[in-house]
Amino acid sequence: MMVIKNKRIRDIMRYVIPCVLIPLLVALGATVFSAKRHLLISMGVAILAVLLFFAGFERKKTGSRRLVIVSVLTALCIAGRFIPLFKPVTALTIIAGMYLGGEAGFLVGALAAVLSNFYFGQGPWTAFQMLGWGMIGFIAGLMGGLLKRHKALLMIYGVLSGVIYSFVMDIWTVMWYDGGLNWQLYMASVVAALPHTALYSISNFAFLWFLAKPFGEKLERVRIKYGI
Amino acid sequence: MARIDVSHVSFAYPSIQEKTLRDISFSVDQGAFIAVCGATGSGKSTLLRLLKREIAPLGQFEGEIRYNGVLRDEMSEREAAYKIGYVMQRPEQQIVTDKVWHELAFGLENMQVPQPVIARRIAEMAAYFDMESWFDKDVSTLSGGQKQLLNLASVMVMQPDVLILDEPTAQLDPIAASAFIATVQKLNRELGLTVIMTEHRLEEVIPICDKLLVISQGSVAAYGAPKEVVPRMLQDAALHSVMPSPSRLFQAVNGEGSCPLTVREGREYVSAWTNAQMRALPKEQETAHDKAALEMREVYFRYDRHGADVLRGLNATVYENEIYCVLGGNGSGKTTALTVAAGLNKPYSGMVRVFGKKIKEYHNQSLYRECLTMLPQDVQTVFLCNTVREELKDAEEGMALLPFDLKPYFDRHPYDLSGGEQQLVALAKVLATRPKLLLMDEPTKGIDAASKMKLIEILKALKQDGMTIVIVTHDVEFAALCADRCALFFRGNVISEGMPRAFFAQNSFYTTAISRMTRGIFDNAVTVEDAAHLCRVNGKARI
Amino acid sequence: MRAIERLNPIALTIYFLLVSGRVMFSNDPVLLCCSLMGALALHFALHGLTGWKTHGYTIALFVVMALMNPIFNHNGATVLFVMNDNPVTLEACLYGLSAAGMIVAVLYWFRAFSFVMTSDKLLYVFGGISPRLALLLSMTLRYVPLFGTQARKVSQAQKALGLYKEDNIVDSFKAGLRVFSVMVTWTLENGIITADSMTARGYGTGRRSRYSLFRWRTEDALFLILSLVLCALSAIFDRAVVYYPLLQIAPLTVRATIGYVAYGMLACMPVFICGKEAVKWRVLMYRM
Ligand SMILES: Nc1ncnc2c1ncn2[C@@H]1O[C@H](COP(=O)(O)OP(=O)(O)OP(=O)(O)O)[C@@H](O)[C@H]1O
Ligand SMILES: Nc1ncnc2c1ncn2[C@@H]1O[C@H](COP(=O)(O)OP(=O)(O)OP(=O)(O)O)[C@@H](O)[C@H]1O
Ligand SMILES: [Mg+2]
Ligand SMILES: [Mg+2]
Repeated sequence: MMVIKNKRIRDIMRYVIPCVLIPLLVALGATVFSAKRHLLISMGVAILAVLLFFAGFERKKTGSRRLVIVSVLTALCIAGRFIPLFKPVTALTIIAGMYLGGEAGFLVGALAAVLSNFYFGQGPWTAFQMLGWGMIGFIAGLMGGLLKRHKALLMIYGVLSGVIYSFVMDIWTVMWYDGGLNWQLYMASVVAALPHTALYSISNFAFLWFLAKPFGEKLERVRIKYGI
Repeated sequence: MARIDVSHVSFAYPSIQEKTLRDISFSVDQGAFIAVCGATGSGKSTLLRLLKREIAPLGQFEGEIRYNGVLRDEMSEREAAYKIGYVMQRPEQQIVTDKVWHELAFGLENMQVPQPVIARRIAEMAAYFDMESWFDKDVSTLSGGQKQLLNLASVMVMQPDVLILDEPTAQLDPIAASAFIATVQKLNRELGLTVIMTEHRLEEVIPICDKLLVISQGSVAAYGAPKEVVPRMLQDAALHSVMPSPSRLFQAVNGEGSCPLTVREGREYVSAWTNAQMRALPKEQETAHDKAALEMREVYFRYDRHGADVLRGLNATVYENEIYCVLGGNGSGKTTALTVAAGLNKPYSGMVRVFGKKIKEYHNQSLYRECLTMLPQDVQTVFLCNTVREELKDAEEGMALLPFDLKPYFDRHPYDLSGGEQQLVALAKVLATRPKLLLMDEPTKGIDAASKMKLIEILKALKQDGMTIVIVTHDVEFAALCADRCALFFRGNVISEGMPRAFFAQNSFYTTAISRMTRGIFDNAVTVEDAAHLCRVNGKARI
Repeated sequence: MRAIERLNPIALTIYFLLVSGRVMFSNDPVLLCCSLMGALALHFALHGLTGWKTHGYTIALFVVMALMNPIFNHNGATVLFVMNDNPVTLEACLYGLSAAGMIVAVLYWFRAFSFVMTSDKLLYVFGGISPRLALLLSMTLRYVPLFGTQARKVSQAQKALGLYKEDNIVDSFKAGLRVFSVMVTWTLENGIITADSMTARGYGTGRRSRYSLFRWRTEDALFLILSLVLCALSAIFDRAVVYYPLLQIAPLTVRATIGYVAYGMLACMPVFICGKEAVKWRVLMYRM
């Protein structure tokens, strides 16, 4: 890993890489290369992005208490995936990002994806799931202050992230199957996944509605009591 | 050369006005074994945590703590972390990783020890603690005793000079507890380790410790060899009940001569007090039992379809209006039996009746609203709210019953209380539901001897009012004092049952120190009062 | 423990990525069949003749996947019949079959991978990326079963206190939320004890080293090198297959054959390793 000395530049890089570079690369891959290569590229990018975050985590000094809280939240996500129908994973990831910062949000989302897939089925989609949930947590971290202040915004973010996540995962599924992006196939899979997407967004909404505030209070308490 | 010097240490938590520790001074020699005792909330845990810099609580600290002459805060980071080992009260929460071998390696990884050295050290330690058969296991499959042993071993691999233990045996059964203490003693003797340990059960510790440190309300009440300290403390009303039973017997009888501390010394003392006029106390009166409050017949239960049976053909009857105590090893299935009795787990075969009605026949949760309540083993599972006040909103009744004043804790978060205090709050909450049948899982863990005595009084009063009480406990002394009948649990079944005197007289490990001490001299003395009574009746033998 | 499970986890992970990755980026039916056979053989070697329910689901998935393409994709020159004004072509059918086969093969590979990668192996692999991450993973893996049991304990404790008023849905939903809330407090507060125990044992005093039960043995290195070479061979000697508008397969040359043989060997390696050991045991038992 390269080490960038200047803190400003480092900060900027931290935002630029996930928000600009990755989508750019994917888009480039889609236009420049042929369809089959595109799949390869998008997977490579997903894996690289996840690795980049993990490497950043290794370099940073993380206190034991913070580490424990991240691990506790991840474990809650995984345990939550066992709840039938309503899955609190995304809601918890958002909460983690919101209260503990983007990096923690990313870690919680990405680790929950890879670990829970050992129970729910591992596959090439794991890399995308990691990136997807990770990004949801990361962006929640960037907008942390806003989301904490405006509950409406939080709800919108929760629902939107559910919908967008599903749509993006569908793109990928179709690409994997079809090689290219067949729009008809895509629309079909979106329609087929509609009940699932709806349930997903509803559960995001419900869990955020009921959990965000009490959860935040509890985290704050622990933060104050133990000075994290 | 003194290894640890504590001089004029005071400490106050930020949220509390009063100082929790006041002007504490003592010094510990290299290789010494120090036992720390004191009432619930007297500040033992606070003091021990202050000794270890990394986990010292936040607050206002005064005074000096030195290791080998170096100030605690001036020690190097590595020295401070690795030379002082710390084992806490709750075995479950100290474990960090998911595998036994990884837990052992954890501390060494932090020290950046190279891989081959780690391999050697943990192999050695696993062999010493006899852990080879469970070296590869998941920690979630270990028993309570194994977990605590793992905690000790994973501290010991770092080869500390000082070992600090905060009530390490609170959750262990009597046999596992004495095995654990014996291991600590062995480490102290063989490796020259300095040991500082708090305990509520002093019988096991006093014979092996070099010095006893008694803390009372945040200051040192006494510090010295047990031979000197114990007789002095016996005079102190507040600390009297903390002292080991041989010494209390000594005081109850006449308190002349040298005070016995261990079971062996106690035996010598008692044998001088018998001229074989009266060997046994009269049997307790069998109260006429007619109606069963709880009946279990051939109950089989397992958690997992493919797992082993946890309850194997359990038969037990608890009659109305009695206190029934269940003793037994870690993992023998006592907690499981209680949950089955409370209808929280369904047996796959067998029958459970509560007040003559099958559990199925109680509809709409009426079982829990009208006749049965359970105090769980982990009391933190009953806390819902952010302050003790909200927690006890509906529990006026329960609080009125308790002879403790819970008011001072009202504005605190339940998790900010000491272990014993949490236990009391949960108790108030449970008692407030006024059940006809009360099931309690280890109500005395973490509570000091004086509070235990008060608890016994409450339970007896409740029994007078017509309540039936089932208690699962590891605390033999407590069971001997409050039970009407006791039962021994083994491999998912009750294998022996009886009135306390007969019951404890037959057992050789699940029994009180007094019973062990008077074995062969008296037939059924179980409590200090029993033995004292017999001694007085018999009088001193003329030699 | 079977021979394949004793291999070094990093070698194993790379192997599985190669063998499934290669087939994911190919639409050559021969390669696909090799892959499917290898994956199925490994499945039977690991589990015996069990798991028929999963096989059933997989077959259903295969059928749906195979049908999807001709229904939605109308490329291709050979029209079989017309459905709702849309032509269903032979090429689209063939492509659907091949894509479905690829997905099923990849699923089987990953299933075997999940089965062989126990948590301590996963830890070893992640530890290679970052020791701190490995620790985080290990802690998380410890918490997952702990939460399961604790959630049950909390729910039982609350129930026994008579806090569930009636046996209806609204009440049980509220009760569920309450249990969740208690769980969160419990885990956060008790997590701090774990954190203290970590600090007490020197966490955070500097970089960490890493201990693991796995080592690199000659077999592992051989296995890894062989997998890399075989996969590279099969990738270099790729046989071009085009489905639309007409199915066109490049002629079967010597090079293409080498590619097939290489991939076939790659796919059969785990089964071969398991089989070799089984035979060895037989012989040993016989001699005893
Ligand atoms: N984090 C905290 N914040 C505020 N007060 C605390 C905190 N921890 C402990 N106390 C208080 O300090 C006093 C001493 O607590 P400590 O845990 O040292 O007692 P203890 O002697 O170990 O008791 P026990 O035998 O029950 O473990 C208690 O009154 C307790 O309520
Ligand atoms: N939720 C659970 N799932 C699976 N197994 C369990 C569960 N709870 C307990 N067990 C197992 O059942 C056995 C009996 O456990 P139980 O908690 O009833 O023992 P106990 O006698 O109460 O022990 P202790 O004295 O340590 O409290 C143990 O072997 C334990 O591992
Ligand atoms: Mg304490
Ligand atoms: Mg128990």
